[in-house]
Amino acid sequence: MFQGLIMGFGIAFSWTNLLFALIGAVLGTIVGILPGLGPAATISLLLPVSLKIGSPVTSIIMMAGIFYGAMYGGSTTSILVNIPGEAASVVTCIDGYQMALKGRAGPALGIAAIGSFIAGTIGVIGLTFMSPPLAEFAIKFGPPEYFALTLLGLLMATLLGEGSIIKGLIMVVLGLLLGAVGLDPVSGSVRFTWGFFMLQEGIDFVTLAMGMFGIGEILINLEKELTTELVTRKVTHLWPTVKDFVESKWAIIRGSFIGFFIGILPGGGAVISSLVSYAVEKKVSKHPEEFGKGAIQGVAGPESANNSAASTSFIPLLTLGIPGNAAIAMIFAALLIQGVQPGPFLISEHPDIFWGVVASMYIGNVMLLILNLPMVGLWVQLLRVPYAILAPIIVLFCCIGVYSIRNTVFDIWIMGIFGVIGYLFRKVGLEPGPLILAFVLGRILEPALRQALLMSAGSPWIFFQRPISGTLMGFLVCFILFQVVRALWKRLGRKA
Amino acid sequence: MGKWRHPGPGFFPFGLAIALILLSLALIFKNWKKEKIPAPFWPERTWLRPLLGVAILIFYALVVEWVGFVITTFIFLVAWMWVIERLRWWTITSISVGTTVGLYLIFSVLLEVPLPLGFLQW
Repeated sequence: MFQGLIMGFGIAFSWTNLLFALIGAVLGTIVGILPGLGPAATISLLLPVSLKIGSPVTSIIMMAGIFYGAMYGGSTTSILVNIPGEAASVVTCIDGYQMALKGRAGPALGIAAIGSFIAGTIGVIGLTFMSPPLAEFAIKFGPPEYFALTLLGLLMATLLGEGSIIKGLIMVVLGLLLGAVGLDPVSGSVRFTWGFFMLQEGIDFVTLAMGMFGIGEILINLEKELTTELVTRKVTHLWPTVKDFVESKWAIIRGSFIGFFIGILPGGGAVISSLVSYAVEKKVSKHPEEFGKGAIQGVAGPESANNSAASTSFIPLLTLGIPGNAAIAMIFAALLIQGVQPGPFLISEHPDIFWGVVASMYIGNVMLLILNLPMVGLWVQLLRVPYAILAPIIVLFCCIGVYSIRNTVFDIWIMGIFGVIGYLFRKVGLEPGPLILAFVLGRILEPALRQALLMSAGSPWIFFQRPISGTLMGFLVCFILFQVVRALWKRLGRKA
Repeated sequence: MGKWRHPGPGFFPFGLAIALILLSLALIFKNWKKEKIPAPFWPERTWLRPLLGVAILIFYALVVEWVGFVITTFIFLVAWMWVIERLRWWTITSISVGTTVGLYLIFSVLLEVPLPLGFLQW
């Protein structure tokens, strides 16, 4: 393991990889700060050009940097403008903005960056030590286990996610259906192409993601005329006081561990962990009445949790080949584009990729601490770039990116159609995240299901009879029952 | 469709379709009794700006292969910032020229991505 890590640092410390780790960290900070542009959309923008970067290690190092870098940047906008720069920084608005109103924006930004660094590093340590044994374990997995695990991930992602559960499940089913377009991977027959030859290869992941996330997001933002000049206040006194540290040290540690475990869970991730951390901090605090009025723990906890979760959510991707959330699903796609199959054999077959990326994450966290602590004032200037200029440039990026995959305008049309669909979905409260995740996981889920049924000669009991998949399915059933009981309980309580 | 013993290509989509029907029914059932006045879907002409955005995107997709990347991209930027955002003309011109040149340099020169060139070859 240590040999691997040393080799990884050897790879990560090459000039090219350091440069791309820095590019990733800077891009991540930027998209984190800019509201309405998330890491998932940004990584999907870069997927088409990732092949040009060269080696898979380098491009994954950059994309990983974008993902965890966005967790650092997101807090800045939340604290200064009361708009979440990133979905995972929604709760940071509550107390962070209150701190800013009281003239304590500096300490809030400082504690967020320091907490992020500590938690991010704890997360990467977890990634280093837990991945190899987990991958070893996962080698035994057959189709039933993969089916159970993927199903669990999809359901957890919708149940734990925000918004209505039924709507989330609808998005999952739609995502799975979209994934079925094109050649059937088992029998080779053509499905749902409606006579379009271009659809035989299936809907391209990048096209779908850019439409749903990129164009859809832009269209919904066009509805409201965002006024320019988001920030006017000047940030001073970045360094938190000793009192601030004492008050928030346990929040950072608790946040780190909450993020750590929620990040590993299938369907878990940065967004959920920050919500959980905020709830926990409020519960354990001796002064819960201060929450919502500028409690520093309300910034330190969630910001730590989302960074820790961002790091550990690489564990299921790199050991099982199952992405747990939409942004990680983009990195999954990036690996596939580079011809690398993520799964239990990744560590043994491509040790350079695994250890190189892991080592770069230690370095990236240090880079981000520097980028976000002394240099935060520089990035805040970005909030002065009006959305009116940013929006058309993002749309152009999407068009070029999509066009460059197969050199056809057909894909721009497809992207535009999904953009409009994504816009309308958002308007009726359907979040595109579960759809994208399901679209990716469908390519694992369907073959696993059909192979498992072939193995068992048609008996669905196979999923419950094998020890590992049985445990997972048992967990799944318990989880669903718990949710149903809770929903019924609420309904009865309301009537009584 | 196939059988349980030997599931065919239609097996999985069929299952999904059933799930979708059940979920839709659940959603209808859940909201059945709530009698509330629905909020207008597009209050106060909020549909206009997204619609213009889509229109400009459609124009781009229709024209880019014929006219070529550089001119179409420039027109796209000018149209977006002028029609939708009503920015000042010198802001529009400078941003449009800068972005078009920048994108061309990044994608065509630096990354060697083939762009639609049209009859002018640029």
